[in-house]
Amino acid sequence: MKKDSAIKMIGNALRKGRTALSEYEAKQVLAAYDIPVTREILIKDKKNLDAAIQKIGFPLVMKGCSAEIAHKTEKGLIHVDIRTATEAKKAFKEIMAGMEGFDGGVLMQEMIKGRRELVMGLTRDPQFGPCVMFGLGGIFTEILRDISFRRAPLEVRDAHEMMQEIRGHKILDAVRGMEAADKKRLTDMLINIGRIGLEIPEISEIDLNPVILSGSKPVVVDALIVLK
Amino acid sequence: MSDNTRKTVNRKKTRYPVTDYERIFHPHRLAIIGVSAEENGVGFGAGMLKVIMAMGFEGEIFPVNPKGGTIAGLNIFKSVEDIPEKIDFAIIAVTARHVSEALEACRKKGAAGAEILSSGFSELGTPEGKDLERQIKEIADKGIRVVGPNCFGIYCPASGLTLLPGPDLSRQSGPVAFLAQSGGMSIDFAHAGKWLGVRFSKVVSFGNGADLRETDLLHYLKDDPETKVISMYIEGIKDGDSFFREIKAAAKKKPVIVYKGGLSRAGARTVASHTASMGGSRVIWQSVLKQAGAIQVHDTEELAQTSMAFALLPRKAFKGISIVGGGGAIGVIACDTAEIYGIDIPPLSDELQARIGDHLPKPGSSSVNPIDVANPFVAPPTLKEVLLAAAEDKRVELQIIVSLLFHYKTIANMFNKPVAEVTPFRELAQAIREVVDRTGKPVVAVLPNAKRGLDNLDITEMIAMARQEYIDRGIPVFDELHDAIRAIANVNTYYGGKNYEKR
Repeated sequence: MKKDSAIKMIGNALRKGRTALSEYEAKQVLAAYDIPVTREILIKDKKNLDAAIQKIGFPLVMKGCSAEIAHKTEKGLIHVDIRTATEAKKAFKEIMAGMEGFDGGVLMQEMIKGRRELVMGLTRDPQFGPCVMFGLGGIFTEILRDISFRRAPLEVRDAHEMMQEIRGHKILDAVRGMEAADKKRLTDMLINIGRIGLEIPEISEIDLNPVILSGSKPVVVDALIVLK
Repeated sequence: MSDNTRKTVNRKKTRYPVTDYERIFHPHRLAIIGVSAEENGVGFGAGMLKVIMAMGFEGEIFPVNPKGGTIAGLNIFKSVEDIPEKIDFAIIAVTARHVSEALEACRKKGAAGAEILSSGFSELGTPEGKDLERQIKEIADKGIRVVGPNCFGIYCPASGLTLLPGPDLSRQSGPVAFLAQSGGMSIDFAHAGKWLGVRFSKVVSFGNGADLRETDLLHYLKDDPETKVISMYIEGIKDGDSFFREIKAAAKKKPVIVYKGGLSRAGARTVASHTASMGGSRVIWQSVLKQAGAIQVHDTEELAQTSMAFALLPRKAFKGISIVGGGGAIGVIACDTAEIYGIDIPPLSDELQARIGDHLPKPGSSSVNPIDVANPFVAPPTLKEVLLAAAEDKRVELQIIVSLLFHYKTIANMFNKPVAEVTPFRELAQAIREVVDRTGKPVVAVLPNAKRGLDNLDITEMIAMARQEYIDRGIPVFDELHDAIRAIANVNTYYGGKNYEKR
């Protein structure tokens, strides 16, 4: 997706009175800004299941996808590590039932393997405008609050400082047999999140959590984009 | 609103003649408006006239009041128009509703700027107050720069302008500029600076900041040759974008130290994402100041101490230091504190340790670094030798000497003499100065006082005298070791940072 189509999509969502993008939509916006996201396909009909499986390949993650549903985990709308067509069919059925009639579909997503989870995000400060966040992701984000912020636009140096500033910055090094994180790619991601903040005023907040290090490569696995 | 649209509404584009800050801070012809000869001159205007005269302001002063008369030997003009020829600067202290008229008259008299001490404007939150302030702004936009309203004005030691209740501030200029909205904070900081050894280029309390405020003043101070260090207390700012631009530009050229107040109500907004909930104003301010290359401090003491350290220390980071003191605990505490702030206390070479050991009383001393001189009565010439030797270690870039001068009270009692007479503080200050001159490495003095009670006021006085001896010799002096190390760490953060343009 190109930037202008992303902006058009956001405009449509706003006209419908929506306050957030669905995960699938959010990832398209991110991809338009060269931010690496999971490979995924959104299906609404069971008959497209096999084609999606063919395209993404096992193991995969299946998620209920709707801008109207938050807290997917609590509602049983996420099924991970699906390895067979039978499991996929069962998951599809359960997810569609759990959607309780909300508009949306099932997101068929490649399963990213990696033990290191990061968080990135965007907030708008009333004084300083769009500010980009970086930190430890997954369940640790709220527990440890090991995070750093920089105001957009970010220079390369700002992104480097953000990564160095968190207490757990060694997670980005080669530790316990894991590769060192691709800092160049992380830097570009942070700079581009800032760019989204500057170029799309309709977006008020972004949460990318987790961003998983797959080997050395960071990939956005879940994304929330909140609209104004 | 996108970045581009924001820039087009920036008012800087339609600025009138370039602001003549020279005439604002160093006026030759000064009008003081609202000087009443009646009431024995107890109003703000009369008060200001008297403190400026007490400061020994050398320019011409023109008091103004519609009732005329004389005050302090000066003729009071009935209106600004009556002042012969042009004026450079005006101090306005009339009631709020008469301010804009006075300001307009000053503008027509050619004033480059005016400070408005009067209150009764936007700080009231009333439509009337806001309207009166808008009128000030409109006149300011026609070409007279305004400090205030609702402020204590400008203190400039070189010219003799002073803050409202400040007849006893120093006339000695120095490298530190201080900015704050708050008048009280400005006058207190100016007074604290006086005994701490901070000398000022300019102090500006800009109150409501209807016209000149942090952003414009940072822009000016960045290139002001009188200012080497910029210190500020911030509660709110008007425009984050231009503030960030100016503070970053200023911090590239000289240290900018910021105490941001009012961070406790962070996170008052309702937000939907984790990112936004974690990005309250405390963490954002911290990040933005770091990004701009400014140094954030967390209380007024740290602000003053850090300003002093920047003003007096050479422009570099000090990674390794030596510490000289009497008493083992000082050394342990020094190591703990230095580690927290990322400063090394390297053990000296065997050869230096042996040489230092030769000078020190035995047993009980240690010459490893921290150097424990064993008792508080080691004579200044000995301490000088110790400092000279420790400076030979190339990993030692700065030295701290902790002197427990209060113990001399024991000796004073023994010989029945005043403590100030038996304490060799002057000799010590002189010895330290000579060490700095010979080694080229700074020495920072710490003068703790464990005896501050009513029965020991003589010690408090003696230590104040000692401080002055150090300050007079350009040696940074602190009350507590922690204060000294924290201030040095702030200096290190700045000169070790990448934002600073090395020249």
